[in-house]
Amino acid sequence: MKQMLINCTVIYTSCLRQLILCASIPFLVTACGSQLHEARLVAFGTLVDISTWGVDSETSEKAIAAVESSFNEINSTWHAWQPSTLTHINDQLAMGEQIELEPDKISLIREASRLADASNQLFNPAIGKFIALWGFQNDDRPQGPPPEPTAIKSLLASAPSMKDLVITDTSLKSTNAAVKLDFGGFAKGYAVDQAINILRSQGITNAIVNAGGDLRAIGRHGDRPWRVGIRHPRESGIIASVETTKDESVFTSGNYERFFDYQGIRYHHIIDPRDGYPARDSISVTVIHDNAATADAAATALFVAGPKLWRKIAAQMGITQVMLIDDKLNVYMTPEMAKRIHFEIDPKPTIIIDDPT
Amino acid sequence: MTRADYIVVIFAFIMLPYLYMKYWQAPVQGETAQILIGTDKKMEVSLDTDRQFSVEGPLGTSLIEVHEGKVRFVDSPCRGKQCVHSGWLQQTGDFAACLPNHISVAILGHDHVYDAINF
Repeated sequence: MKQMLINCTVIYTSCLRQLILCASIPFLVTACGSQLHEARLVAFGTLVDISTWGVDSETSEKAIAAVESSFNEINSTWHAWQPSTLTHINDQLAMGEQIELEPDKISLIREASRLADASNQLFNPAIGKFIALWGFQNDDRPQGPPPEPTAIKSLLASAPSMKDLVITDTSLKSTNAAVKLDFGGFAKGYAVDQAINILRSQGITNAIVNAGGDLRAIGRHGDRPWRVGIRHPRESGIIASVETTKDESVFTSGNYERFFDYQGIRYHHIIDPRDGYPARDSISVTVIHDNAATADAAATALFVAGPKLWRKIAAQMGITQVMLIDDKLNVYMTPEMAKRIHFEIDPKPTIIIDDPT
Repeated sequence: MTRADYIVVIFAFIMLPYLYMKYWQAPVQGETAQILIGTDKKMEVSLDTDRQFSVEGPLGTSLIEVHEGKVRFVDSPCRGKQCVHSGWLQQTGDFAACLPNHISVAILGHDHVYDAINF
């Protein structure tokens, strides 16, 4: 979670294009009874766009209101630095206390812990103190300077990890006072999963929930798939596009999302738990997976893994569709990703296709 | 087939190139910026006229500039200035927001090529 929820704006528009098509050439369009509804919320400190297809506006509005409440609740529970259930948990963990928690919270922490294990701890939600040290646990953009090397070294020596947690069905405890949970690389995916569950429970089977550029799409846009453009990590515009099938999440971690420049050097928000500094070598990693929370965690882990280690970590996490772009704009992809992605730039970048191993 | 059927089929084939050109070609540049203020105010500004204008939010005045088909936040009363650092917005789907001041700017095209932008 990056920032707190501030407000909510909802805008509905009808799909003018479909109406024009329906009116002018009805024989070419079979889904004229369907309609696109689009809404925009401000949640998690970012814009959340929700599109639904094939239900009436009343159903769409009601479902989107429920999604908004869900985002609010997740935000107030898991916010990493503003007073929340999580900050309370972190206070108690630091004191070595055992905390009683509801099953849904235990479940989220367990799943994050499982993904951390699968990623060799490259996705490490226990490094909240590193994130804070670099100034990224703040609503405002950090200005620098970067932390003193001695402060990073000292924190690194304490090696906070999800392995330090003792998790039972009802309680949580840490054996390491340096553990400070920050689900920044996971909670947005979890919230998107919850949003899709809510939409489905209200009878919506065709939708996209796009939370600040990370999304899950179910069903189709009428008689065609949903089309997703993947933004270029270095320039404005789209580098590639993909059409989703059935139920897929598309998550990207990039070094351009949150950063500060200090004395000519850029420091971004994805911290490598192995050395305590912003991860190098990758500039963006895109993951496609059916579960948004898993895709979120995997995008973070593979970004940290970089061009040398991403295949191993992807295999361990069960991720088959990955696109990693390095700092020289070389593109590394799994064969499954390569089959379906369409580059929108010319000339095409250097592409290296490799299996997860 | 009846004569009417032939007319319909011919009309459909005539329309296909037009529809392809209009709805499937990648847009290079948006035409309009949509500005959202708070929960209920919305304005659209054309990107074909260079100008600067102020938008009032709960924190104060955000200054927005349109120049050669692009739009950006020039200044905003927030502390982090992430909206200003977002720089120029030009392509359909680009957006920047000053969340503390409840103002966002998004580029609209005459049509959506993509249903969502991932980044």
